Amino acid sequence: MPAGHGLRSRTRDSFSRPFRKKGTIALTTYLRTYKIGDYVDIKVNGAVQKGMPHKFYHGRTGRVWNVTKRAIGVEVNKQVGNRIIRKRIHVRVEHVMPSRCSEEFRMRKIQNDKLKAEAKARGEVISTKRQPVGPKPGFMVEGAMLETVTPIPYDVVNDLKGGY
Amino acid sequence: MAFVKAQKSKAYFKRYQVKFKRRREGKTDYRARIRLINQDKNKYNTPKYRFVVRFTNKDIIAQITSASIAGDNVLAAAYAHELPHYGLEAGFTNYAAAYCTGLLLARRVLKMLEMEEEYEGNVEASGEDFSVEPSDTRRPFRALLDVGLIRTTTGNRVFGALKGALDGGLDIPHGDKRFAGFNKEKKELDPEVHRRYIFGGHVAAYMKTLIEDEPEKYQSHFSEYIKQGLEADGLEEMYKKVHAAIRADPTMKKSEKEPPKEHKRYNLKKLTYEQRKAKLIARVQALNSVVDAAEDDEDDE
Repeated sequence: MPAGHGLRSRTRDSFSRPFRKKGTIALTTYLRTYKIGDYVDIKVNGAVQKGMPHKFYHGRTGRVWNVTKRAIGVEVNKQVGNRIIRKRIHVRVEHVMPSRCSEEFRMRKIQNDKLKAEAKARGEVISTKRQPVGPKPGFMVEGAMLETVTPIPYDVVNDLKGGY
Repeated sequence: MAFVKAQKSKAYFKRYQVKFKRRREGKTDYRARIRLINQDKNKYNTPKYRFVVRFTNKDIIAQITSASIAGDNVLAAAYAHELPHYGLEAGFTNYAAAYCTGLLLARRVLKMLEMEEEYEGNVEASGEDFSVEPSDTRRPFRALLDVGLIRTTTGNRVFGALKGALDGGLDIPHGDKRFAGFNKEKKELDPEVHRRYIFGGHVAAYMKTLIEDEPEKYQSHFSEYIKQGLEADGLEEMYKKVHAAIRADPTMKKSEKEPPKEHKRYNLKKLTYEQRKAKLIARVQALNSVVDAAEDDEDDE
């Protein structure tokens, strides 16, 4: 009998609940609010069968484009052939969590604004650009014993002793 | 006793999944809680208020709470043990007291939100089903009844508290099926019977029958009532006065409390991290000094 390619095929492990995390869903998933433009991660919760996305979207991150009563519209990139399509899907909030992908950027924005304001107060111009990690600086090696190694001249008689 | 093989092996404990803490304690029904708290996502941060009613053995707790990730926030609370301020001296956990507590909470919340003039509610407690009419300026305060883990049977005291809150002016979606006095055969609420319960008529009737038939039991059962000088006939008047007093001034009264007494400490106080580190350093130094002294002795010898 052939394998079958139904909607939830090959999801035995990815849609199953983790070890010792079955049962009642924690309430914070229901208390979170999402606004249009937020980044969210899609992670299917097998305990809630309604509003599940297709298995392709499990593990994808997208942006919120719509908010309804119990679900969220997420815009996810999908490669189809030779192009990437921006797909719009609706997912229930149990299968969605806020993404931390832009957290570092937002923190850096706040930090930079603060630094710039302080520098302006002092009257100096600073650059808040990130610099790539450069080559390591030079250093003196401590406690090294110098040993000069020279090659010994080839000795036909002795070296051929073993095999011949 | 015969040798019994150990039932709960190490494997059992390794695989055991504990239920949520409040479920283990038997205090929260998560199935109901999820449904009460879930707010429409397109309403964003609008709070969804629950009218929580809980009964202990000697007290009634009524709260208006809204949920948040950090923990629920209580907007206002009313307890049956506050009712002595309003004139209720005995019987703090009966249907009538529950009605008073619900009424007190409703008036308190409305006063807090400055809606008390707009939403008077039902001033004359008649026992009929009463729902708030929305006024022109502001919509009524909406809350959802949270009974907790009690069995919702007809005539349960939580519905007494619910009736009190409804008559106080809150908008709580409800039906009259579970109020005291609902007739299952005729499928309608008898307002007369409900009114009797609201004014403690059922308590008064029991008092009367006990006085006639079993005076000793009356003395023991209603000892608080006797001490406060409450008679069966005067209960309705008393409850009417309590309702009026609640409507007059529902604000919470702060009571002066002395600072708690200092008790002798019977167990050792836990040390802080710094203290433990300092102790360790002192011990090691002491050891080192002993070792040094021993070394010096050996060197000398």
